Amino acid sequence: MAANGNGERGQHWEAQLRKGCLEMAILSSLWMGRLYGLEILRCLADKSNLEVAEGTVYPILARLRAEGLLQAEWVEAEAGHPRKYYWLTGPGRRRAQEMAEAWSNFSASLTILVEPVLKGNKS
Amino acid sequence: MTNLTQTRNDEIESYLAGLDGALRGVRREERDEILREIRTHILDSLPDNPQTGVDAVLRRLGAPERLAEQYQTEFLLTQASHSFSPWLLLSSAWRWAHTGVRGFAVFMVAMVGYVTAAGFLISALLKPFMPNEVGLWVGRGTFGFGDLGHRAGVHEVLGSWYIPVTMFLAFGAAVGTTHALRWLIRTRKRPAQ
Repeated sequence: MAANGNGERGQHWEAQLRKGCLEMAILSSLWMGRLYGLEILRCLADKSNLEVAEGTVYPILARLRAEGLLQAEWVEAEAGHPRKYYWLTGPGRRRAQEMAEAWSNFSASLTILVEPVLKGNKS
Repeated sequence: MTNLTQTRNDEIESYLAGLDGALRGVRREERDEILREIRTHILDSLPDNPQTGVDAVLRRLGAPERLAEQYQTEFLLTQASHSFSPWLLLSSAWRWAHTGVRGFAVFMVAMVGYVTAAGFLISALLKPFMPNEVGLWVGRGTFGFGDLGHRAGVHEVLGSWYIPVTMFLAFGAAVGTTHALRWLIRTRKRPAQ
C-alpha cells in the first residue's frame, strides 16, 4: 500500500512538473516558425516526450493569443481544409527566452544536487 | 457516403454540438473559432488513427464539458486580469474556486471585500432615513458601524461625517478588492491540466 501511495505521489509530482513546463514548451515549439495545433502536439511528443492531453493545449493557445504572446491566422491548405497557424509575437519571443533561461539555470543547479542520487552514492 | 463515414460524421457533429452548448458564456465569434479549430484537429487526427478511429481522437480531446471548462477558465481569467468590473472579477473567482483551494481562498477574499464595500454603502444610504439608529457607535467595549444605537452607554461619534466617511470606506474597500483580485488572477498558477 505504501509503495502504491509513493507511486501515485510520484505520478502526481511528475504530472505537476509537466504541467508547469507546458507553457514554456508550447512557446519553444514555435521558436523556429509557425505551426498549427496538431503540429505543436506532435512537436512536443517527438522532441521532448511531452505527451499531453490534446484538449489541454488548445485553451492554452487561446490564452497565449489573448495575452498577446502569440498571433494566429487561418491558412488555406493546398489539399484538405484550412488550418489555424500560430506564431510568436515580439513579447512572445521575449517570454520564451526568459522562460528558457530560467529553466536552464534551474535544471543545471538541480542536476548538481541530484547527481549522487542518480549514481546511487551514499557518501 | 458510406454508413461508416456517416456514423463518423455524426459522432464528430455530436461532440461539437456538446462543446458548443458547454461553451455558453463565451462570445459567439470566439465560440465559432474554437469549434472550427477543434473540428480541424479531429479531421487532421483521423489519418493517425485508422484502426481506432474517431472514438480515440475524441477520447484524447476529453469530454466536451471538460474541454469547454478549460477554455472558459482561460478566457474568463485572462479577461478578468485586465478588467475593473467587479461582476467579471467575481465570476472569474467563482470559476477559479472550483479548481482548487487557492481559487476558493481568492473567491472568499473577493466576497469579503465586496460585501464589506456593499455594507458601508448601504449604511451610508440608510443614514438619512434612520439618523438615530445608524452610525459609528463607541462605548462600553463597543466599536462598530451600523445599527447599534439602542445600547446603554454607547454613543455615536461621527454625526454628519458618517455618510462621507462610510462612502469613502465603501469606495476604498471596492477599489482595494478589485486591485487585489486583478493581481491575484494575474499571478495565479495555471489551472490543472
